[in-house]
Amino acid sequence: MKKLWIGSAALALLLAACGSETEETPEEGASANASPPQETDGPTEVIFWHAMSGELEGALNSLVDDFNESQDEYEVEPVFQGTYEEALTKLNTVAGTTESPALMQVFEVGTKFMIDSGYIQPVQDFIDEEGFDTSIWEENITNYYSVDGVQYSMPFNSSTPVLIYNKDAFEEAGLNPEDAPMTYSELQEAAAALTEGEQKGFSILNYGWFFEELVAAQGGLFVNEDNGRAGQATEAVFNGEEGMNVFNLIKDMYDEGTFYNSGQNWDDMRAAFQSGSAAMILDSSAGVKGMIDNAPFEVGVGYLPVPDDAERNGVIIGGASLWMAGDIEEEEKQGAWEFMKYVSSAEVQAQWHVDTGYFAINPAAYDEQVVVDQWEEYPQLKVTVDQLKETKANTATGGALISVFPEARQRVVNAMESLYQGADPQEALDKAVEETNRALENDALKNGN
Amino acid sequence: MTMAQEVRASDEKKLRKREWSNFLTGILFLLPSLLLFGVFLFYPMVRTVYLSLFLTSSQGVPIVFVGWDNFFALFQSTSFQLSAKATALFVLYTVPASVLLATALAVLANQKLKGIGLFRTMFSATMGMSVAASSVIWMFLFNPSIGLFNRILAALNIPGIQWLLDPQYALLSVSIATIWMNTGFAFLILLGGLQNIDSSLYESAKIAGVSDACQLRKITLPMLSPTLFFVTTVTLINAFQTFGQIDLLTKGGPMESTNVIVYSIYKDAFINYNVGSASAQAVLLFAAVLIVTVIQFKIGERKVHYQ
Repeated sequence: MKKLWIGSAALALLLAACGSETEETPEEGASANASPPQETDGPTEVIFWHAMSGELEGALNSLVDDFNESQDEYEVEPVFQGTYEEALTKLNTVAGTTESPALMQVFEVGTKFMIDSGYIQPVQDFIDEEGFDTSIWEENITNYYSVDGVQYSMPFNSSTPVLIYNKDAFEEAGLNPEDAPMTYSELQEAAAALTEGEQKGFSILNYGWFFEELVAAQGGLFVNEDNGRAGQATEAVFNGEEGMNVFNLIKDMYDEGTFYNSGQNWDDMRAAFQSGSAAMILDSSAGVKGMIDNAPFEVGVGYLPVPDDAERNGVIIGGASLWMAGDIEEEEKQGAWEFMKYVSSAEVQAQWHVDTGYFAINPAAYDEQVVVDQWEEYPQLKVTVDQLKETKANTATGGALISVFPEARQRVVNAMESLYQGADPQEALDKAVEETNRALENDALKNGN
Repeated sequence: MTMAQEVRASDEKKLRKREWSNFLTGILFLLPSLLLFGVFLFYPMVRTVYLSLFLTSSQGVPIVFVGWDNFFALFQSTSFQLSAKATALFVLYTVPASVLLATALAVLANQKLKGIGLFRTMFSATMGMSVAASSVIWMFLFNPSIGLFNRILAALNIPGIQWLLDPQYALLSVSIATIWMNTGFAFLILLGGLQNIDSSLYESAKIAGVSDACQLRKITLPMLSPTLFFVTTVTLINAFQTFGQIDLLTKGGPMESTNVIVYSIYKDAFINYNVGSASAQAVLLFAAVLIVTVIQFKIGERKVHYQ
């Protein structure tokens, strides 16, 4: 009997030990890659959660190292937390506790979610306090991340969609490889000429972002209340004329046999382009450089096409921004702010743009020598920047602000996929709108509106 | 009170005391597992049922009590109906095929031949592969532009199939990959079952001049039935809970044709942050697995021959 008691006591101890161990793990993991040991009077530690993997992570780490070397007050610790979605889910579990990171990279459609979460510190406070001049930033980028004149987060890695095409295939089909299709009818004609044997003319990834961009390029809105920027959006409106233009285009081209269905996976779409299955695709500007390096043919880059009679509005900014946690030490906040300022400087942005293909949020970066050299080698990169510069700042290109964006995107993807099964474009879009409305309703219910 | 009555009463008291102390000792022995189950199983289960009656904040904190509304909404939602259908079809596609294939391979590999070890290793090899690694392999096989399957079809002059992109084929494709993944484990267990069958039974059959087919039907399968029952139950429950290959191969698409309930729960809870609705789906899935398992035990076990 006595032994039994000892046994169960030992077990209880073991359980307790396990419990405290798991709690400690994040700190251990973070300090494992810290270079200097943390003393109380040493540099303040600023934990930075991000979602940059592969080559991007390398570029980010060297950027952080440079910052840490540039001063000795703060020590930024980059911690990779999986994809944007995964990182946000993890943040969700620690937000508001002491485990919460000081800096967090969140994708563009998580903006509203972060504002509503109540666990963040708008960077506007620091901008005001210091009288920081935000006009040095690219207006189209800062517009996305500011709501009612308040800059909530710091734009960091920004990208937009572009048309990427196979120049060699253009020549073979008797098209001018320097002349990218700008309108839907030009696109359809080019696609028809390019479709031959295994090669299809055009492909769009089944991903909500491209639909949103194609709608915004024509000046169309995604949700009501000025895309959710004038007030809480209550209804999706993407089934209007602009959305129909996009769906009709996909439907027509698919029925003509000039459209390639590349699924939901970015890598599959890029493989289809590189293997010659699709001669034109829509891709993120951040993927352009990799595509040029890897494709066995000449790659051209063009603007997002618009319907023939539509006025070109431009593109919504994609990518991610940096958020500051609200419930952390003042010192950590200051450190996070210093890092944000450092990151937005022209020099750093120039290097970042060259390394990754993401936009420089500070246009002065484009005058830096590294960028000038890079653009000489890859003139296609300039097209992506020009497209953003020519964008008109309005509610459409400002991008929608809703917290149920991930769900809305799933609905749009479903609708896109149903087109390949012969669904009617209007019905498919209406259904997606209806389902998005239900999500918006539920969300309003949760927030007690 | 007579003397005898008094003695009996005190005896009863003693007996009850001993029973009580036995019970306590028993509980003490069970305590470690009860504690673990309580923390990791019972509490989460109760909590799931509780959450399924609420609308929750993005952090999973219950905010608005809605009663059975989450369930009603699910029953009315076409998405959920598609999920239920996809789950049922997925179970139907994978379980019988996995068990049949593994049984056939196990019977083949149960012979005493030179080099049979090589085949046993090959047939059970998929057990050593993680779901993630196998899914990536199958992703490349299914790839419409660079995948092996479509190249073979092209060589035979058959038009290529959009394995994972066509709603008609997607669930089937994922099922094929899953059967391949399941086979290793089922094979290994079944082979073990086969080797446990008393060889004297076969010797007697040989002496009696019973044909191979008859031996399989009358000796092998009945003697293997407890193992078969175990493998079927485990495969069935696994099929209901499949997640990894769906996430990696199709993400529930195209047109929700592979959006099995577990994947739908994940999407609702961790992408859309509707923990309430996700919990309701989890409760329904639990009920479904429970019912199917009970039916299987009630009906299936009758056919099982225990030695």
